[in-house]
Order: sequence, then C-alpha cells, then structure tokens
Amino acid sequence: MKKPLLALVAVIGLVTGGVAQAADAIKIGLMAPLTGSWASEGQSMKKIVELLAKQQNAKGGVLGKQIEVVTEDDGGDPRTASLAAQRLTTQGIVAVIGTYGSSVTEATQAIYDEAGIPQIANGSTAIRLTEKGLKHFFRTAPRDDEQGRIAAQTIEKLGFKQVAVLHDSTSYAKGLADETSALLKKKGLKVVFFDALTPGERDYNAILTKLKSANPDVVLFTGYYPEAGLLLRQKRAMGWPVPFIGGDATNNPDLVKSAGQEAAEGFYFLSPPVPQDLDTPEAQAFLADYQKQYEEVPASIWAVLSGDGFRAAVAGIEGAKSTNGGKIAEYLHKSLKDYPGLSGPVSFDEKGDREGEVYRLYKVNADGKFVMQKL
Amino acid sequence: MEEFLQQLTNGLAVGGIYALIALGYTMVYGVLKLINFAHGDLFTYGAYLGLTLLTSLALTDRLGFFMGVLVLALMVMGLVAVLGMILERAAYRPLRESPRLSAVVSALGASIFLQNTLMLIYGARFQVYPDNILPVTAFDLFGLQIPVMRVLIVLASVVMMVTLYLFIQKTKIGTAIRAAAIDQGAARLMGIDVNRVILLVFLLGPALGGAAGLMVGLYYGQINFTMGWVYGMKAFTAAILGGIGNIPGAMIGGLLLGVVEAMGAAYLSIAWKDAIAFCVLILILIVRPTGLLGERVADKI
Repeated sequence: MKKPLLALVAVIGLVTGGVAQAADAIKIGLMAPLTGSWASEGQSMKKIVELLAKQQNAKGGVLGKQIEVVTEDDGGDPRTASLAAQRLTTQGIVAVIGTYGSSVTEATQAIYDEAGIPQIANGSTAIRLTEKGLKHFFRTAPRDDEQGRIAAQTIEKLGFKQVAVLHDSTSYAKGLADETSALLKKKGLKVVFFDALTPGERDYNAILTKLKSANPDVVLFTGYYPEAGLLLRQKRAMGWPVPFIGGDATNNPDLVKSAGQEAAEGFYFLSPPVPQDLDTPEAQAFLADYQKQYEEVPASIWAVLSGDGFRAAVAGIEGAKSTNGGKIAEYLHKSLKDYPGLSGPVSFDEKGDREGEVYRLYKVNADGKFVMQKL
Repeated sequence: MEEFLQQLTNGLAVGGIYALIALGYTMVYGVLKLINFAHGDLFTYGAYLGLTLLTSLALTDRLGFFMGVLVLALMVMGLVAVLGMILERAAYRPLRESPRLSAVVSALGASIFLQNTLMLIYGARFQVYPDNILPVTAFDLFGLQIPVMRVLIVLASVVMMVTLYLFIQKTKIGTAIRAAAIDQGAARLMGIDVNRVILLVFLLGPALGGAAGLMVGLYYGQINFTMGWVYGMKAFTAAILGGIGNIPGAMIGGLLLGVVEAMGAAYLSIAWKDAIAFCVLILILIVRPTGLLGERVADKI
C-alpha cells in the first residue's frame, strides 16, 4: 500500500509545484542559433529578447506577472531545432520566439502547433511556412514572394536586361530565386543563368568563371552574406566589373569586412531597413538602450525582428488576457492592428504573415557603409 | 578552351589546399590506422593563429611581403604542430591499446572540443584577414587571367608536398616512419622508438594542415570556426581517392578532387558539383578499391 500512496504524494507535489511555478512568472520561449554557423544572429536575438524582457518586467511584466525568457539553442540546424522545440514545449512556455533560417523554423512548426503554443518566427521568409494552415504560426519577417516582387521590380527599374540568378540550395534562397526569375521572365527580361553554389566553401572561382561566360548585365545572389562577401572579393580578383544584387540575407556588416571595401563598393541588396535606419521612436529608444547595455549594435535586422516577435507576444498575452495559446493566437490574428514595433507597425493576416511593405534597396558606398536608395 | 584552362587553374588552387590537408589524414592513418577527425580543426587553428600573429606582430610591415609571410608560415606551422602533439598525447595515446572505434570517438570528441574552444576565444562571427597585405594583381597568360596569389598557393603547396615526400623517402627518420607504418611490432624490434615516430607524424601532419589554414586565410580572407569541417571532409575524401595511407596518393587525390569539382561545376552543374565529385570517387573505388595509388599496401606511407 505504501508505494501507490507515495506515488500519489509525488504526483500532487508535481502538480502543485507546477502551479506554484506558473504563478511566479510567465515563460516565453526563445529558440535561437546560439552556436553553429548563425551563432552571431542567435547571440544578438538572445541579447535583444532578454533586454526587452528586462524592460517589460521593470514596467510590471505582463498580466501582473514577471516574464521569464527560456532559451534553447537550435544550432542553426533543423535536427537540433526539433529537439530544442520538444524541450521547450515541456517547460510550460506560453509563446515562443524564433528562429533564424526558414528550414530550421520549418522543422519546429508542427511541434509547437500540436502543443498549442504560438510561435513567432523572425528570420524565416520561405513562402510555404504560412501556407500550411497552422493556427499558431506567425512571423515578423516578410515573405519571399514579397521580396521576389521587389527584386524583379528593382532589377527592371535599374535597367538591366540579362540577369544571372544564383542561389545556395537552402529553402530560403531557392524560394527567392525561383520566385524572382519567374517574375523577371514575365516582365520580358532574360534569365541567362540559374544555378546554386554550396554554402560554407571558400573558393567560388569555378562558379564565377562559369557565370562570366553567361555574360549577364547583373547577378542576383539570393544566398547569405558569408558567401556573398567571398563572391565579391573573388570577382574583383578576377577583374570582372559586373554589378551584384543580393537578397536580404546579405544584409550584414560582415559582408563588407569579408569582401574588402573596394570589392564591396557598388553592391546592391534588398532588405528591411537595417537597425540603424529604423526611424520609429520605439526603435530609436530601444537601440539606444541596446547600445548602452551591450556596447554594440544588433547583428542584423533579423535579430531585431525577434524583438518585434517578443513585443507582439507580450501584446498578445495582454490583449487576450490569457496565457492560453489558442486565445493569444486568435488575438494576434484578429485584434492586433498596427502595433508599434521596432521595424514599423506590426499586424498579422489570417495566415500569420506580417502585413505591410518593409523592403528597401541599399547600396554599399566607397566607405563600406550601407546607404538606403530611393526606388 | 580558354574557359577550360581557367577552370583548370581554379581547380588546382583548391586541390592544392585539399592535398595539403589530406597529407595529415593519410600520414596518421598510415601509422596508426586512425582517422584523425580533429585534423580539419587543426587546419582551422592554423587560419586563426595566422590571423592573430599577422595582425599583432605586423610581420609583413616589418619584413616585407615574402619574408613576412614566410616567417608567419613557419610560426603557424610550429604552433599547430605543437597543438597536434598535445592532441596525440591527450586524446589518442591513452587509447592506443583500446579498440579502434574508441579512438575514432575520441577523435570526434576532440574535434568538437577544438571547434568550440575556437568559438569561445574568437567569437562566433567570422574573422577576416586584412585585405591590403596581398598582391591582388592578376597576370595574363595566353589570354587567361591568373591571379598571382593563385600561382603562389599552388607553388607553396607543391613545394611542401615534395619536401615531405623526399623527407619520408630519403632520410633515416622517414624510413623509420615507413617502417612503423608497415609493422609497428617489427619496427620496435628493430630499435625504432614507435612512440616518437607517432609523435613526429602528429607534428608533420598538423604543421602542413596549419599551413593550409594560413593559405586559405591569406587567399580567401574569410575564416570561421566551422570551416575545418568542409575542408576536412574534402581532404579526407581526397586521401581515400588517392589511397589512404599513401603520401603521393594524397597529393594526387587532392589535386584531382579539386579539378573534378571545378570541371563538374563548369560543364555539368554547379549545384551538383559535390555530387559529381563523389560519383567520381565511387567509380574509382569500384575499379580500384584501395584508391588510385593504394595498391602497394605493404608500402604504406
């Protein structure tokens, strides 16, 4: 008889323990690449969300409780991410922010959706993420087709006729490349080259040699900044002056570092505004606080978008007056309109996509600075 | 034709680096029958140490470009060699008598340890070599644009490989290494200190790997703490391609892999270039299961 009794006591202990913990704080999960290739993004995400949580707690938290941020490392890798998501779902989180990279996010969507936890992704722009009818999925990043539309429009406006499209086989880069080249063809421009490089390598001379023989007016590279930097540097060493346009994953100051200033000069890219160009009062105030706290600027806009995700999650909990995932998701879908975010007003449509135009065209100047262009 | 030759030089530059790293794999395998999975990370250490020494000592300013880079290369090779020796002491020697799988697991563990140490020291962002120290000029050879640096990279790797080959073939110590590779027990009976031979192998391999890391840093500029993985994989493939345990095999395997990759990218598809390279590897292994030069099994290393 003793054993069942003990078990019962243990169960009661667990249950009341759980309740007591929940009464202390509202937990919000953060899934970020703290290690691996995108660690710099992930570290910034963590700093941003922790700073925002601290500020929110100083203002009295949410629903009268303190916010506790529970962070898990997704390693920038889909397999690690699904394990991280499973760990997070068992820790009583109310909502989760993250993550960077569409394929990484995709590996975790179903896990959170089944657990009924609203997920607000930041650096995930692949179209299909919001085409699955998941009720608990949101993103503060714009979709690739939005970017594709702007990319095709920009290339046309800049007067280029023969376009080479290069991606890196990640779901993000390929999605954007497919979308843009379809639109370019519709506009009557020629896509003279379409292929993918292998990210993580150092030598792209073979690819550049082949690109050059296709004789394009402009090269659209939809991949990430480390490869873009190397491409620009090796292109200059080859003495090939063709202009490059990048997608938003090239928006990182390390691009210029890696290419060298001379090679980076004249590089165009499309992106939501960089943190320093954000002109909302919320963003200005937050960036000042961030710099005071950490003595640096956030790694990229994607990290800042995790901050918008956090703010939206807090607004959702407050608006729904509940920690129930379903209610928060419903509030975010229907009632959250033009919430003042760091990157401009935040609203979500019924799919969970962010509404409104966020892309800008940037060009790298002779000093290696990113200068916003008028389209 | 012009594009073909251009791609050939592209492939040789990449292949030279693969070959230098592959030598480290093949030498260790020859003597210990162990795949040193941490070798790719020693290569990364070469790149990072090179960057630190270059920026903190300003060698190229003081000694001029060639002397500066030469002194830098010697320092990096020395330091990475010491690191390789420590690795052998810490991760492999205690497992010398254990089953071979234990040593492989230890190698993987060492790789993770080295990689993350590097991240904690230098941070997760990639680091960049200063871009004003190298001659960026290209010269014209029969209508081909060939960057000077690419020629230097190929030359440097060939010189190092030939030196190593002569050292192994012509010197007494080289003979001892070859003897230990054939039969450790018999070598011991002949009065060869096998432990010292192994230590020497762990000095030479990492030194070459470190030099390759420095060359990648100088040439491509951008280094990050995970890059040893890709290069390690490719170099390991090159070692298998040439016949693992065989030194000329690693050189030929490396150069061949680089050229096959470049040609695959040029004439088939860039996205499939790795798949093409691995298909070639599989085909060669079907025809010659011991790799290109692997037939002299008794004469490893």
